[in-house]
Amino acid sequence: MQLAGSKELVSGVIKNDLCIGCGACVSLCPYFKSHNGKTVMLFQCSRDKGRCFAYCPRVEVDLDGISQYIYGRPYGTEAMGNYITIRSSRAGAAAGLKTFQTAGTVSSLMMFALGKGVIDSAVVTARDGVKGKPVVVTDASKIPGYAATGYSAAPVASGFNEAMNAGYKKIGIVGTPCQVNAVAQIRTNPMETENFTDPSGMVIGLFCTWALDTGAFLKILRDKTDIASIKRYDIPPPPAGVMKVQSGSGTVDIPLTEIRGAIPGSCSYCHDMTAEFADISVGVFEGREKLNILITRTRRGEELVQAAISAGFLEAETLGDKDISELAAASMNKKKRALARLALENKINSAEGISVLRMNGEILKQLETM
Amino acid sequence: MSVLTDKNAGKTALLMGNEALVRGALEAGVRVAAGYPGTPSSDIIENLAKVADERNIYVEWSVNEKVSLEVAAAGSFAGLRSLCVMKQNGVNVASDFLLHLALSGTRAGMVLIPCDDPGSISSVNEGESRHFARLVEVPLLEPGNFQEAREMVRWAFELSEQFRTLVMVRSVTRLSHASGNVTLGELPESDTKAYFRFDGNLLDAQTGPVITAPVPMRHANQQKKLKQIAEVFETSKFNTYTGPEKPELLIITSSACSLYSVEAVSLLKLEDRVGILKLGTTWPLPEKLVKSHITKAGAVLFVEEVLPFLEENVKVLALDSIEETGIKKYYGKINGTIPSVNEMNPDHVIKALTSIIGVEYSGMPADYEQKANIAMFTKAPARELTFCPGCPHRASFWSIHNSLAMDNRDGFVCGDIGCYTMAILGAGFNSIKTAHAMGSGTGIASGFGKLGMFGMEQPVVSVCGDSTFFHAGMPPLVNAIHNGSDMLMIILDNRGTAMTGFQPHPGLEVDAMGNRADATDIAEVCRALGATVVTSDPFDIAGTQEKLMDTIENGKGARVMILRQICALSPEKKGKKQYEVTVDTSLCRGTDCGCDRLCTRVFRCPGLVWNKAGGHAQIDEIICAGCGVCTDICPAGAIKRSEVTK
Ligand SMILES: Cc1cc2nc3c(=O)[nH]c(=O)nc-3n(C[C@H](O)[C@H](O)[C@H](O)COP(=O)(O)OP(=O)(O)OC[C@H]3O[C@@H](n4cnc5c(N)ncnc54)[C@H](O)[C@@H]3O)c2cc1C
Ligand code: SF4
Ligand code: SF4
Ligand code: SF4
Ligand code: SF4
Repeated sequence: MQLAGSKELVSGVIKNDLCIGCGACVSLCPYFKSHNGKTVMLFQCSRDKGRCFAYCPRVEVDLDGISQYIYGRPYGTEAMGNYITIRSSRAGAAAGLKTFQTAGTVSSLMMFALGKGVIDSAVVTARDGVKGKPVVVTDASKIPGYAATGYSAAPVASGFNEAMNAGYKKIGIVGTPCQVNAVAQIRTNPMETENFTDPSGMVIGLFCTWALDTGAFLKILRDKTDIASIKRYDIPPPPAGVMKVQSGSGTVDIPLTEIRGAIPGSCSYCHDMTAEFADISVGVFEGREKLNILITRTRRGEELVQAAISAGFLEAETLGDKDISELAAASMNKKKRALARLALENKINSAEGISVLRMNGEILKQLETM
Repeated sequence: MSVLTDKNAGKTALLMGNEALVRGALEAGVRVAAGYPGTPSSDIIENLAKVADERNIYVEWSVNEKVSLEVAAAGSFAGLRSLCVMKQNGVNVASDFLLHLALSGTRAGMVLIPCDDPGSISSVNEGESRHFARLVEVPLLEPGNFQEAREMVRWAFELSEQFRTLVMVRSVTRLSHASGNVTLGELPESDTKAYFRFDGNLLDAQTGPVITAPVPMRHANQQKKLKQIAEVFETSKFNTYTGPEKPELLIITSSACSLYSVEAVSLLKLEDRVGILKLGTTWPLPEKLVKSHITKAGAVLFVEEVLPFLEENVKVLALDSIEETGIKKYYGKINGTIPSVNEMNPDHVIKALTSIIGVEYSGMPADYEQKANIAMFTKAPARELTFCPGCPHRASFWSIHNSLAMDNRDGFVCGDIGCYTMAILGAGFNSIKTAHAMGSGTGIASGFGKLGMFGMEQPVVSVCGDSTFFHAGMPPLVNAIHNGSDMLMIILDNRGTAMTGFQPHPGLEVDAMGNRADATDIAEVCRALGATVVTSDPFDIAGTQEKLMDTIENGKGARVMILRQICALSPEKKGKKQYEVTVDTSLCRGTDCGCDRLCTRVFRCPGLVWNKAGGHAQIDEIICAGCGVCTDICPAGAIKRSEVTK
């Protein structure tokens, strides 16, 4: 991986509409801050190498290096990355969840992990209207309060930095693929800090095809509903084609075509739908109301899921081949679209200057022709 | 006892130019003095305030220059000699009343002393006050040395009283702030009772109402007075000539420039070839005197600061009398012989003389300037233009900068005149993007704040000092409120007119003479005007930033935020540390990723120094004012503070 500093991060990512606001560069130092979903730099930093650049999931991401660290093998051509088992799941009765986004798998697992001491802290996302903000939770009973998702891109990875700053050693985190990729880079110790130990305890990734830019989203909502009293918003399965926004003033349907206008440009460079570098990835089981799809990828992820099932925190079934291949198709679709775009703009494996992604050229070629 | 009130006439004393001007006013028996602070004029009113009791004078710092001229005029109208003092651009502020006062005329002697600042050493402009004398048609005097400063002011009162017109006596920085020997004159005893008479004829300003109508009559009358005054000027002792009977070259000069001219002529040993006509009465011109000298001269060189005032006036005169004066070559600012901006000095005059006369002179070795520059940058410690240690402005602009940067919509600050103007530079994190006259930042912001209808989404902020608020900040605020402008006015209230030396203003409970005064509460004023007002202590970085973010993001219309914290140099604070501050070097991250010297590279309070060898920051205990703000900005918690027990 090619290391640089904040100057390159600002010019190469932030000013280049590549920043997804993941927050990986935030809470490291006084310079990068996140506000309303946007990452800003307050003052220039004069260092030529830094963690901000090293952690950013939109610049110089070495897929082979990360894969090597997490799975002990280079990055391959699998549509959904490395995995152990794929299941359908939902929260078990022991979790006692009342609200959740899809079927509560994520919140149950987080509660369970924190309660069992698998993790010493959990980075989850608090919502303020449509804005998301990470919080570091250490009390398992607080987890359900952060269930359900917001679609705004939020600086979740800065919560991981904050947990590290606070000295936690087994941090759990729930994040979208970009946020998970940032955390994966943190875990590889790119700055080669002495006496480094991986501070993560459990990384749960959320499936994601796109997120929304907070500011642009707010602009769309501003004259349609009372923003201050927004309680929840969902995208019902196709063919609805709308987003349902519930607020104090009632529920409004906003056409998805309009909502798509708030997708940040950065999402179109994202090759990862299923959070390939997480321990566990969770998404919606399309067409099956109230069920998640649950992918375990690492040994510690699989162990957690099995223990959660035994303890009644989770109900799960192995997913059938047909469903797996549908998921793989969707995942590959996103991957190929992003890789094509990156290649077109010379943002992958570029010989000169900085590149968004780096990976084995042979694998890239295979992916492009799959 | 102050030398200013020394009764030993004939005694010689070392006085600053401004003190000499004060002594002249005291010798003239001045009773009322008003002004607005501004370098280089401020110490005139301050010195008068010190002797106010002893000499039975009313002295005030007025809210602005226009009001100060009005206050002084009231003294004159009531039969008391009165003085008004301001810096060059103050005359612009006062000019509307000045125009009308010239027309209405005065009663007891009234003198206006504007102090110009050529080279803008302490200004953000290089304004010229002399043109106002011609513009509004009042006489103008320019002292050329310290003795003249005293004598001229004294005489100016007599002249004013004789012709019932305001008289301007113009000083410049190098006269006001340098010192020289002055022989003292008599101090008068007077107990004139103030009484404003208005029972006389409507057309007689001496006994009837003091008005400008009927304008044609009064205007003609003023012009007639100027003709008579010009006659008086013909024989004034303040106009002097030194040099040969028929000089090859005649220098026409005034004010401090006359000293530079004498020095240049003497250095070049041109005393028998070049003559110097030093004019002390520069408007209206003593025409006969000037013409006779031009007639005898081979060519003419004008040496003056800042604009070609003498040059233009004399050229008009010379053209009108060309049959008498003959065709002469004129050198000056207009043909580029003399630089047309910045201060004058003997070198400029020498350069002009050597090029006109063709003599050789090298005062400095050719590479002097280059060597001096190298020495300055390599030998002298670098000193940047910045706020003092513990200055509230640094903390205020830290929060303003960070809030606007976080908001991320390219918000900006419109500034005006005060120490805080330095926020154009790194000292204030380059926050100020427009800077003009007093109060103008808020007026400009009021305008920007209406451009939302054309798609402008940038947050608009203005900053204004507490003294500036009273001077010229209220009208633009009212304007912004009434016109529904979306803007935030931040009043940087450091409890005094800090930049010019802590002169009191209407927000404080003390007046110019040190007496208790009623204070006007800025927050209450703004609220009464209809603005929402939030107050914060800029030293509370987190609290201030939170309030700022809230109003920048959610505020609508004209809003006011008052950031109140006493200036670090104020007499109340000076020398007293609130905190003992130290750096825990084991925690300091220095240049590591995670800080990169935020305190000494970005925040840059002079109390913080970078220990290069140790790779950590440290506090310079002597310089640190103990405000404790850097504790809150350090990302590592390395800067420790502990309250100083009193
Ligand atoms: C931006 C975004 C886009 C998504 N797109 C898809 C998709 O295309 N297809 C799909 O199958 N699934 C998608 N998901 C995942 C889906 O919405 C559910 O989060 C997932 O199914 C888990 O459901 P659950 O009931 O187990 O979650 P819950 O138990 O309700 O827990 C949700 C968790 O998400 C966290 N969270 C909330 N908001 C955010 C946020 N903005 N960013 C990161 N974390 C957050 C919360 O802290 C909480 O821990 C998306 C999620 C997000 C945040
Ligand atoms: S290099 Fe380090 S200190 Fe500098 S901006 Fe990046 S993270 Fe901050
Ligand atoms: S993508 Fe994340 S790490 Fe990169 S610049 Fe944006 S916020 Fe920072
Ligand atoms: S801000 Fe704090 S950590 Fe950074 S150099 Fe200064 S004292 Fe050290
Ligand atoms: S406490 Fe810190 S900011 Fe305040 S004067 Fe001292 S060094 Fe400067």
